Amino acid sequence: MAQEIYYEDVNVGDPMPELVKGPLQKLQHVQYAGASGDFNPLHTDDDFAKAVGMKDGVICHGMLIMGIVGQAITGWIPKKNLKKFGVRFAGMTKPGNTITVTGAVTDKRVADGDNIIVCEVIAKDENEDVKITGHFEASLPNK
Amino acid sequence: MADLSKVGTEYPPIIWEVERGKIKEFAKAIGDPNPVYLDQDAAVGEGYKDIPAPATFLTVPMMWCDKMPAIINDLKINFMMVLHGEEEYEYYHQIYPGDVITGTPKVVKMEEKTSKSGAKMDMITMEVLYTNQKGEEVAKVRSLLVERK
Repeated sequence: MAQEIYYEDVNVGDPMPELVKGPLQKLQHVQYAGASGDFNPLHTDDDFAKAVGMKDGVICHGMLIMGIVGQAITGWIPKKNLKKFGVRFAGMTKPGNTITVTGAVTDKRVADGDNIIVCEVIAKDENEDVKITGHFEASLPNK
Repeated sequence: MADLSKVGTEYPPIIWEVERGKIKEFAKAIGDPNPVYLDQDAAVGEGYKDIPAPATFLTVPMMWCDKMPAIINDLKINFMMVLHGEEEYEYYHQIYPGDVITGTPKVVKMEEKTSKSGAKMDMITMEVLYTNQKGEEVAKVRSLLVERK
């Protein structure tokens, strides 16, 4: 999927290819709970979620949304080139939301012989509510 | 309310054998169709030794190791009031099927903050540096937990 991308071909301001996923399904919460081991019932049990103040029931695992951002990143920049990836969880995601991941290159530099690109990423839902803001760094080969 | 005197505490190591099926299961749960996570031939074709662990895979040993309840308990955190504030990875080597990775969870920072609305929160930063069976450092995970009070 991810084709080799060269340092020379990436410039500050370049957008990352957009990824749109959704509407998210409760079934995916169950699947992600099993895969990740995060069985907090806040993500899978509507009665529990309502009892702790979520009026619409379960919310998505934040780490599932981070995983979707990771999908967007490594669908563009190969995983082997990824050096750093961090996010801040800015808002809750609910079943039915459609997540759009966008990003852009904010810096590029050569450091210790590595060609580093720095990018910002953001995940929003269909109402433009921000779910995740984040950043990543990758080391890219020369042509 | 978190016990802020626990900063610096190290917990018993997480030791985790990475299974091929778990990598595929994790990629499928995210809905990531990238063949490098699902198909060994595709991964080798793109320069990997085998299918690599996806970017957020290190949540798996943390959640499946069954150590979190004891850590949360020791830190005197009310789990029902915890939000996951931030998560960050630094990657040094790929993680592949068959690797046995070991990481020691550490509490690196604990502080009380007051939000703009005046609500008090405890901010707990945990770090886990994972090494593989060859002694190579593979990745560092930094997690910020926020306990509302």
